[in-house]
Amino acid sequence: MGSLKTFIKEVRSAKTLAEEKSIITKESAKIRTKLKDDHLSLEKRRKNIQKLLYLYILGEKTHFAQVECINLISSDDFQNKRLGYLAAVLLLDEQQEILTLLTNLLNNDLNHPNSYIVSMALSALGSLTSPELARDLYPDVEQIINRSTEPLLVKKALQCAARLVTRDAALLEIFYPYCKKVLDNHRLCTHGVLLGVLKLCQSIIEARNLYEFDNYLEILASLIDSMPEFFSLLQNLNSAVFNQEFDVNGTSDPFLQVELLRTLRMLFACAPEKTMQYVDKFGDLLTQLASIGDGSKNSAHAVAYECVRTIFELQLDQSLRVLGVNILGNFLSGKDSNTKYVALNTLSRVVPQEPRAVKKHRKFITKCLLDTDASIKVRSVELIFAILDETNVQELTNELISFLEISTEDDKDVVNYVVEHIMVVLESERYGEERWRLDMAIKVLELVGEYASYEKVNEVMIMINNARSIELKASLVLKILSTTIDAPADSKVSVENSGWKLVAIWCLGEYADLILGSSGLTEVKLTAWLANMNRMCYDEPRVTSFILSAALKLSCKIQSKSQIEDLRLLIAGHSKDTNLLLQTKSTQYGILFNQPTKSKKAILDAMPFFAKNVVEETASSAETRQPVKSPQAAKETNLLLDLFDTDPVPAAIPGGLGGQKPPLNSNGQKAAPHVPTDHEHVLQAADKIYDCNNLSVYGKVVFCAHQKAVIELNIQSKQKKIINLHTMAAVAKLQQLSMGTLSSGVIDPSGIAKQQLELTGSGKLKLRVKLSYTVDGAEVSEQFDHRFAESL
Amino acid sequence: MAIQYLICLNKQGIVRLARFFQPFLGDSKDGHATIAQIYKLVSSRDLKHQSNFVEFSESTKLIYKRYAGLYFVMGVDLRDEELIYLSHIHLFVEVLDAFFGNVCELDIVFNFYKAYMILDEMIIGGELQEASKDVLLERLTYLDRLS
Repeated sequence: MGSLKTFIKEVRSAKTLAEEKSIITKESAKIRTKLKDDHLSLEKRRKNIQKLLYLYILGEKTHFAQVECINLISSDDFQNKRLGYLAAVLLLDEQQEILTLLTNLLNNDLNHPNSYIVSMALSALGSLTSPELARDLYPDVEQIINRSTEPLLVKKALQCAARLVTRDAALLEIFYPYCKKVLDNHRLCTHGVLLGVLKLCQSIIEARNLYEFDNYLEILASLIDSMPEFFSLLQNLNSAVFNQEFDVNGTSDPFLQVELLRTLRMLFACAPEKTMQYVDKFGDLLTQLASIGDGSKNSAHAVAYECVRTIFELQLDQSLRVLGVNILGNFLSGKDSNTKYVALNTLSRVVPQEPRAVKKHRKFITKCLLDTDASIKVRSVELIFAILDETNVQELTNELISFLEISTEDDKDVVNYVVEHIMVVLESERYGEERWRLDMAIKVLELVGEYASYEKVNEVMIMINNARSIELKASLVLKILSTTIDAPADSKVSVENSGWKLVAIWCLGEYADLILGSSGLTEVKLTAWLANMNRMCYDEPRVTSFILSAALKLSCKIQSKSQIEDLRLLIAGHSKDTNLLLQTKSTQYGILFNQPTKSKKAILDAMPFFAKNVVEETASSAETRQPVKSPQAAKETNLLLDLFDTDPVPAAIPGGLGGQKPPLNSNGQKAAPHVPTDHEHVLQAADKIYDCNNLSVYGKVVFCAHQKAVIELNIQSKQKKIINLHTMAAVAKLQQLSMGTLSSGVIDPSGIAKQQLELTGSGKLKLRVKLSYTVDGAEVSEQFDHRFAESL
Repeated sequence: MAIQYLICLNKQGIVRLARFFQPFLGDSKDGHATIAQIYKLVSSRDLKHQSNFVEFSESTKLIYKRYAGLYFVMGVDLRDEELIYLSHIHLFVEVLDAFFGNVCELDIVFNFYKAYMILDEMIIGGELQEASKDVLLERLTYLDRLS
């Protein structure tokens, strides 16, 4: 069994991971056996624990030695004790029950005549402070603070006391008098001791809500009495009398300065009235501190930053807040990423308090977009949107777009954030004229459309759709289509940019008539492009779905017979698509395609203006004169989304419940609504298969052969009007169900709604139907089973 | 408030020092899994162009700095001031340097218990207890002779 040094060398000399692992495992096993041996000499025990600690650093399991380190602590030998304490603080934590074994040992050592041993015990207690230890050992800690004349012990004891208070708030009553007492004893007050006093103050303030007795105000008052002392300490640290010992790059003890500021800040915050008399003094001091420091070193920044945090947390007066923002502005203008990071973090918190001052620094904020640190980029983007208003929207948008232009794959998150937020801005009429907003929105989409969510892409379409003048619309559409169709090689649009594709395809479908012929965009070109897209995007159902609609719409905007035939073929090509929705769409469009031109034109006209659903101003709200919500804040009816949505409730769920929404929301149905005319007549020869208070259901098997059956259900209301009707159905396991559209979600009294069901498979025709609807304002849900005579 | 842990790793991610001042909260009981994550995060960051701060979890951000081949990483509360903790790390490294005399990784490997001694004289329960290099070194030299 070699020494620690040999062991470390052995581990280091291992050539492979496996070899290293085997050395470690062997040694670990050896240590385990050795430690179990009761006759092992203390010397050997120590050696083993030393190795064990090395194993700890390497990440090995060491729990088996927890009791062993307590044994070492109990030894009278200084070396053993020292190692024992080190092992204890590394291997144990304050949640372990084994700590109770330490109570007596710590109690003895805290009262030991040897100050080195007392110091070790304090360090251990400071690290392993369980509430039990706090209650048992506080008298020993108190005694050290009270009696000791050694700053080295007092500073540790004060830090311990601060920890004890956090574990048991009742103890703050014991310790608070020592803040003042120690401060008054100038001989004792080294910087270390002062740090201890400040920590104790902070703990006492933080524990105030946990303290259960009613003399807290007195305690606080005693702390407030020390404030002038803190002020003068802070002032002295920054005076000409410079203590070389504590100099850190030209700043005098930044650690103590930061703690002083933090303590003062906490006192001001928790007793605003009692500390009122000091506010002006503190303000002056902060102004002074913030302007000192050469401003290029981390230590000076740390103090200045703590001043800024104090100013904003206490919401000090405006001149100080402006000063604070300017300090942060200076941080931003530097080269140091660290100060940029903290400045951006803080600025985004203080924008609401001091928007004007922050806006002044927008140059530096936008410059941070070019930083290489992603977290700085994210923060600067957040800040840009926080300060964006009518006066700077153009400048900031330009900066954001130049960022998007150079953004790379690594900036994905930032780009996402920009896209999501800038669209909201560009949608709003507040931010500049329509043409500019639209240009920018299209530019963003062109650059990074692959990152835009479908909702945002949709909003761009709505914006184009709602563009006021037809000339503007035409020029936008021309721009989009000529970039895409004419010069795909020059454009920066990436192949993955599906957002851009969607918009281009949509524009083609809606507005082909506006641009046909200009810039060489001929019918042939448009059709060929659409066909090409159809081939290229076969694995993108959403794009394909758009292509189908665009093809249908384009077909009545062009004259050439052969191009129209191409479009028909394009649509028909999806009639056997594996994607059921595309298949349905293709079939439905196929039918529409063959309608007479006149009715087709009416159905396929460009989309109307989308009125955004602004909540109507009612009389009462007019009286109270509440500001009307701006349009972009109001909820929109996303008509486009409905029309093009490719993921509604699946029409068929094998063997499960098939659901179908009323036609208003269903796929592609709006363009060709199927309006039943025979409302009043129940299907002839249908059986009444269900009856209840509100409605009757009639069912008939319309067709049944070749493993396929079609069932029609008629739902007839009795005396009341039924709204929000939804039907769901399930079939036997061997069958598959496809539900048709419910003819209407609303049934007038004695009116009828129709529902067609298509079953494939084999077995008896059994049906479980669930109906949910609203009648007289109450939601009702009914369920029944029915077995038809026929079987597949 | 307070430092949650201080970890010293080399460029390969091998731990050279690890000291936890607070028991782990929640389910992440395993300190070494956390250290592996920390290494992954910190080592992937650009030395020159990125800040020395990075958010690590919902309660913790890391303040770190690389000195030669060693990363010194501190976990602190999200609300804590970053810059001053960077000074903490720097102070610790300066004291290590002065104590060992031009410290290198091997000094810490073979004398890890001394490095812990230095840490324990500088920080107690996650709080800085002494900021003066002179005071620290005087004390440490004396403690060193006691063994």
